[in-house]
Amino acid sequence: MGGLADAEVNGSDVLSALRLSQQAPAILGHGPALNALAASSKPPRDTAEEYNRIEQLFLACLQTGDDQSAQACLDRLSHRFGPSNERVMGLRGLYQEAIAKDKSALEKCLAEYETILSDNPVNVPIMKRRVALLRSLQRPADAISALIQLLDAIPTDAEAWGELADLYQSQGLGSQAIFSLEEALLIAPNSWNIHARLGELLYVCSSASSEGDPARLAGKSVQHFCRSIELCDDYLRGFYGLVLATSRVLDQKYAPESPADPTVPSRKTIQQLQTFALQRLEHIVQSRSVDDQHWASSRSELIAAKELLNRLAPPK
Amino acid sequence: MAVPGVEQTILRDPALFYWILFPISVVMILTGILRHYATVLMNTPPKPASTLAESRERHALLRGVNLRNHACSVLDRESFEARKNYLLNGFRSGAFLKDPNNRGQPPANPMTDPAGMEAMMGMLKGNMMMMIPQTLIMSWINAFFSGFVILKLPFPLTIRFKSMLQSGVMTRDLDVQWVSSLSWYFLNLMGLQSVFGFILGSDNAANQMAQQMGMANPAAMMNPMQPGQDPDKLFLSEAENLEVMEHFCILDGVEERILRNFAPVVN
Repeated sequence: MGGLADAEVNGSDVLSALRLSQQAPAILGHGPALNALAASSKPPRDTAEEYNRIEQLFLACLQTGDDQSAQACLDRLSHRFGPSNERVMGLRGLYQEAIAKDKSALEKCLAEYETILSDNPVNVPIMKRRVALLRSLQRPADAISALIQLLDAIPTDAEAWGELADLYQSQGLGSQAIFSLEEALLIAPNSWNIHARLGELLYVCSSASSEGDPARLAGKSVQHFCRSIELCDDYLRGFYGLVLATSRVLDQKYAPESPADPTVPSRKTIQQLQTFALQRLEHIVQSRSVDDQHWASSRSELIAAKELLNRLAPPK
Repeated sequence: MAVPGVEQTILRDPALFYWILFPISVVMILTGILRHYATVLMNTPPKPASTLAESRERHALLRGVNLRNHACSVLDRESFEARKNYLLNGFRSGAFLKDPNNRGQPPANPMTDPAGMEAMMGMLKGNMMMMIPQTLIMSWINAFFSGFVILKLPFPLTIRFKSMLQSGVMTRDLDVQWVSSLSWYFLNLMGLQSVFGFILGSDNAANQMAQQMGMANPAAMMNPMQPGQDPDKLFLSEAENLEVMEHFCILDGVEERILRNFAPVVN
């Protein structure tokens, strides 16, 4: 969905979503005032931030199964912006999908989307909902073609390109997925997470035997992880990926001892990179393990990094 | 000319302050506020694209610009060439146009094109909103208050400011510090922006918010093309820009760069 860029809650961060949705009664102003937040809250203001907050709350409530509060949020939004607002329509669709009991209810949502789109073919939130719904109905091929249709009309939507890459990857179409992620990067060239994601994708492709030139893919993977680290110098995923990708390059002997082309890194450089990445990874893992609560949302990443470090640790 | 060194004194009736200076200022502030709300009411948000093809026409150009600006930080030579060729082909053959059959024909007359008409109405409304109150107030001041000297500035000014501060008072020898009523109107007209900002919040908080929520997807609403512009011409010039582009990639040598810039921090 659009507007999640400045989200305090992101989709994978279930903990903070839960925390936010527990405050729902207080924020929405009914029910007992439980905490300081409610005590200090002024009468609702008619500002963009306020409505962004309500949208956030709506998503968090849906994620944690608090459908009643979600309904209240949705009512408030559609009261302010009218039920025919595109974004509100998208949110309503999301709500209906969430409360759908079985597959036939979802099919009904899909039919509804089709009618909306036949009225207004460029209703972007509904187009995106349709793609997501097709995906959750286990129809990835349809989802891909719907997404391609969307991207044909709006080729400057990084979110949609990212989703397309994910869909392609789930179908095992590596090079198409790489292409899509590169398009997303062209729109947001400084996003280190997409760089790291592309690095991961390249790494995966370089291990699959069917894809083109594994040496080149692994080399590019190293490059993208490096770029991601350059943009954000304590990005755990970047370092983790760099360790893996450099190990791949070293194990398969992709890097020449003394390269003819100056842009190709030598074996020595790759080795140095690996040592550097391992050091930093260890450093990050140590510092974040101390401050456990703060990094609670990325605990799984931390565990994976620890596991990798143990595996690669030199035998004593 | 004013005699230097000698303070000019003019005896002013204090009623001048209550009946001219004060009313002009109040009227100017009130019209400013009124104009703001009238603009908010009459403002029509830009229309989003109504068909997929139209939306594509709007965004294709941005895609070219994105490729041109960001290719160096993402793509290697091979994938850059592929994308460049695709976009060049599309721009040249008119594949991104709303209806490729109309290509090469002169753009529709904005007077007959309903979309263009609407955009022109919007501009007209905005201009009217400025013009009409100003004409009215200025003629009001001219009719009732012309020729009054109503204010003395507490600081000296150079002779150049005479035309700015003393319009409507044809006195050659009057010192520049004296301000006429018509000039006070002009000063208010130009200088009340910050007052409006203070009164109306950050000037136009109301209409900004309605727009923000309206945009589900800011990119989808954006229209890089002005009404009346021929998209085909824009595409062709963008194709030219793309064609002359020199490719380089900042990912080349990123490994050494990382080692040089970041490794010493750890060691």
